[in-house]
Amino acid sequence: MLTLAILLPLAAAALLAFAPLSASLSRSLAIAAAALSLVALVVVWAGFTPAAGFQAVQEAPWIPALGVAWRVGVDGISLPLALMSGLLFVAAIAWPMEREVNARQYYAWFLFLEGASLGVFLTLDLLIFYVFFDLSLVGMYFLIGRWGHGEAQRAALKFFLYTLAGSLLILLAIIALVLMVDPLTFDMRELIAMQPVAGMDLRAGLILLGFVIGFAVKTPLFPVHTWLPPAHVDAPGAASAILAGVLLKMGTYGLVRIAMQMMRETFATWALAIGIVALISILWGSIVAFAQENLKRRIAYTSVNHMGYAVLGIAVAGSAVTGHEAARDLALTGAVVEMVAHGLITGALFLIAGAFWARRQEYDLDHYGGLAGNAPRMMAAMGLASFASLGLPGLAGFVAEVQIFIGAFAVWPWLAALALLGLIVTAALFLGMLQRIFFGQRPPALNDFADLTAVEMSVMAALLVLVVLIGVWPAWLLEMIGAGALLATGGG
Amino acid sequence: MLFALPLFPALAGLAIWTQGDGPRLRLALITGGAAVVTLALAVLAAAQGWQGSFVWGTGLELRLALTPLSAAVAITVPAVALAVLVFAAAHEERRGRARLLGLMLIFTGAMLLTVTAADLLSLLIGWEVMGFCSWALIGHHWRDHTNMASGRYAFVTTRLGDLGLFIALMATWSGAGTLDYAALGRLNGTALALAAFGVLVAAGAKAGQGPFAVWLFRAMDGPSSVSALLHAATMVAAGAYLLARLHPWLSGVPGWSGAVIALGLVTALAGGAVAVMHGHAKKLLAASTSAQLGLMFVAVAVAVGVGYPGVAVVHLVTHAAFKAPLFLSAGIAGEAAGTYRLREMGYMHALPWTAGLTALAALALAAVPPMGAAWSKERIAAAAMHESLWLGLAVMVAGALSAAYAARFWWLAYAPGNTAPEARPRWPEIAATGALALACVGLGLLWLDPVQAALPMRLPEGVSLETAVSLVLVATGLLAGLTLARREKAPEPQAADWLGLPALIDAGIVLPFGQMARLAAYIDDAVLDALPRGAARLAKRVARGWRWFDKAGPGAVPQGAEGATRMLPHGRRGFRGLMQADHRLIDAAVWRTVAITRALARLSDNPGETLADGLPEGAARIIGHSGADARRLQTGLSHHYYAIFVTGAAAAILFLIFRRF
Repeated sequence: MLTLAILLPLAAAALLAFAPLSASLSRSLAIAAAALSLVALVVVWAGFTPAAGFQAVQEAPWIPALGVAWRVGVDGISLPLALMSGLLFVAAIAWPMEREVNARQYYAWFLFLEGASLGVFLTLDLLIFYVFFDLSLVGMYFLIGRWGHGEAQRAALKFFLYTLAGSLLILLAIIALVLMVDPLTFDMRELIAMQPVAGMDLRAGLILLGFVIGFAVKTPLFPVHTWLPPAHVDAPGAASAILAGVLLKMGTYGLVRIAMQMMRETFATWALAIGIVALISILWGSIVAFAQENLKRRIAYTSVNHMGYAVLGIAVAGSAVTGHEAARDLALTGAVVEMVAHGLITGALFLIAGAFWARRQEYDLDHYGGLAGNAPRMMAAMGLASFASLGLPGLAGFVAEVQIFIGAFAVWPWLAALALLGLIVTAALFLGMLQRIFFGQRPPALNDFADLTAVEMSVMAALLVLVVLIGVWPAWLLEMIGAGALLATGGG
Repeated sequence: MLFALPLFPALAGLAIWTQGDGPRLRLALITGGAAVVTLALAVLAAAQGWQGSFVWGTGLELRLALTPLSAAVAITVPAVALAVLVFAAAHEERRGRARLLGLMLIFTGAMLLTVTAADLLSLLIGWEVMGFCSWALIGHHWRDHTNMASGRYAFVTTRLGDLGLFIALMATWSGAGTLDYAALGRLNGTALALAAFGVLVAAGAKAGQGPFAVWLFRAMDGPSSVSALLHAATMVAAGAYLLARLHPWLSGVPGWSGAVIALGLVTALAGGAVAVMHGHAKKLLAASTSAQLGLMFVAVAVAVGVGYPGVAVVHLVTHAAFKAPLFLSAGIAGEAAGTYRLREMGYMHALPWTAGLTALAALALAAVPPMGAAWSKERIAAAAMHESLWLGLAVMVAGALSAAYAARFWWLAYAPGNTAPEARPRWPEIAATGALALACVGLGLLWLDPVQAALPMRLPEGVSLETAVSLVLVATGLLAGLTLARREKAPEPQAADWLGLPALIDAGIVLPFGQMARLAAYIDDAVLDALPRGAARLAKRVARGWRWFDKAGPGAVPQGAEGATRMLPHGRRGFRGLMQADHRLIDAAVWRTVAITRALARLSDNPGETLADGLPEGAARIIGHSGADARRLQTGLSHHYYAIFVTGAAAAILFLIFRRF
């Protein structure tokens, strides 16, 4: 079933790449393929037992001599992330194109990107993980470069090179990690069980450093986040939504799955340092976002802030401080919820930002004002997403952040206390954004500004209903994550 | 079951909001009906002792319960909300009325969640949702840019206080492993101190105490019915309620009671002074709210370790009964005058009913017996006397100040004059104001012994000499207020704007933060990004060398490099082909090699950037910035310096606190 979820979009992408279909047919086909892939994931979810290790596992030998095989399976971290990604891809594909050129190729690249992204979360083989990790860059590169605006090609290139440099470090670290085990295997489950670098000092530290820097670029963490704003600003809204919602999660997912679970001891040694970097990202991301006058740059920098919360949670979970098992469970749960919530919330925000571009070709906040009158649906959607993002209780972001804070405080009180300041800054910056776009006097030029269409509204509804559901009744998601079991198998 | 109490008004409000503006009568009936049902639910819940719990997450359970104290507040809130909603339905303009009424119901629901909460997480949820409602309601007339800005100011300020609640919550969990209020009792040492002071900061922020008083002024940009709800029944009142509710667990913390008393007393006196000076009808009442909440704070914490939280809650109820009609009356008078400037008013002849009913509420604010509010204020004074003579006298002086501004408010707004009103109130507006004003009188029953005996709380013993002194002071205050009102002519002194506090906050926090953020954004672009750009430029040099090899002729190049150079033009063509139409599937690995080469060359084609390496460039810029900053510090922009100093001091204090934790 999981294989199907990966291959279906890839097959549809291949079909779209070669078959001369019309734009509308391509669109329908792409939506159908993405939806079917999501259905496959939901079927897996239906048969999923929380806190019971990897499930729905499929295995097919590929290069036995190197221990490489097609292995897929899900646990409490990868399943929520894959489900969220599957949903976000349906949303992004169903979202109207900003510039309707080369529709067939656009949808083909989207489906290709979906296959690669789901592959990253679902595979249990480290080499295939790496392959998918890099393939996702290719897909995103083309989506930004070809369907972006402004200096799209330059931004795409910067994104590509910067993250590629990160992933090369990851490749080196993967090779070094795998060479520690005998016989050679890339099976994640075995690597987690074996803890290949346990007891080593310098080499283990270097391998961890490779992973952490590589994933930090992708996440992104301070100070290697500067590729993010240009990539977002010039990307089409739907691609931005995927970039923020899905691709950034690969960084944090890698940190949990590889750095934390496969290198338990080493990670614990360096957990505090990672936590401090996360704290800096939280504060820096929010402060810099506060000063942005460009709608998309502002949202982009809040991603640095939010992913900082997620990494803080991961650092706490992996800190292995004894006597704080419950706190670490809570922090890891919070981190996974943060990943899911950020995907839904920021995905929605970027889609709306795309809607602004499609209507006015302008991201400058000063260009807008007073739109609450003629775009109330847009205001409702963006307002809800903004309040979710600034962590209002009753919405998904709060569920994540409160658990991360509680967990972090038990382990490193001062880190958590300082991280709280991010809450104030994000509140100020999101309210300022809403205020400047939707309230006050409307400039006459915006009198014919159109509200969200029915299609756009239904996409928004799909994402935001989940944001509210998770916020009001989070127990089902928290149960699916089952962080206690994850720590038991992966963190000690 | 108890969840129905907060959820019903919230869901009803949501439904009214989404359904949109309709005929006034229908909207009024639906909203009023929802408020009546909420009130009935509250009475039922209190009578039958409802409880509720909901598994929210692993080890995190939301729990609701009612104590006698919270039951009293839980009934007061929907009762006041009912009157305010009826008023709002009649008073507020048609456009956006459904949104206004719906949000006010949600606000009531959030307050009821806060009141019924029996654990810190439920409390935090209700607490912050109230913040959202206040933002949306203060900015109700969103076409005016300043209203929304005020909403934001209120939200951010109160959220700053909410961080205290976050700290309390985190400290409680790490100390006790659960979040219910009882867990506070199992804390000790630093964790308990953090929880206690965190709660104090949160309560102080919502209740407009000390430096947080400023947001109450900004909140006056909302409609007057919103102000009435905000000050009487929700949000602001929540601050005093929270302290009263959590008092049993927090009062033992060293220094806590003293801090609460100091904060409350300073605010009571300063707020009184501001209210006596202010010429804006609603801002006068806002300053008075801070002052009255300050008195409640004093009552909670007075007589270390003992306290009279019950007295604070009684005053909360009597305060709700007089403050709501005063705000509604200010709304009527403001509508009649077209402004909230008190000097422009004077409607005794034009609006006799309103004037008369307002007089009742103003007498309650002035604490003139036999009003219920007078009794609760005298109890606070008596309790303060138990602590010390000076504290008792200070409370009495605060009471005299409230008599003064109450008299001044009423006289300026409703003095006999010939001013013709621009608008007259509809009968439901008068009815709602009247119902609340009569409730003030009805609460006068508190003066009767059997009623006092039935109150489920400990009361401070009063001495009749003290009461006499207090009443003399009240009478003096009334006279002073009337005198001031009759001599009122010039615009109010600058100090009336909360003694200059807003300007200080702007100059000390808001502006420096904006500058810091812009500086950070500049550093982000100019310095942090320089490293990768430098790397790219370095690579470009390599690529340029490569090209030089290419030009020098294939013969001079070794075999491997020759192959690579030959790929360059070929790959370039392929790249362009991809960018135009990608119906050729290209091997990703080959493409990437080509793309990197080309990319590195392209990135460096920026004409302005001629420095050889990004690293020295970045370093030079950082140094340049530090230099500029250092100069800025020395050029008399002293508030930068103070901001940095305050930040540093705060960091040092935090370090000292947490190092011991």
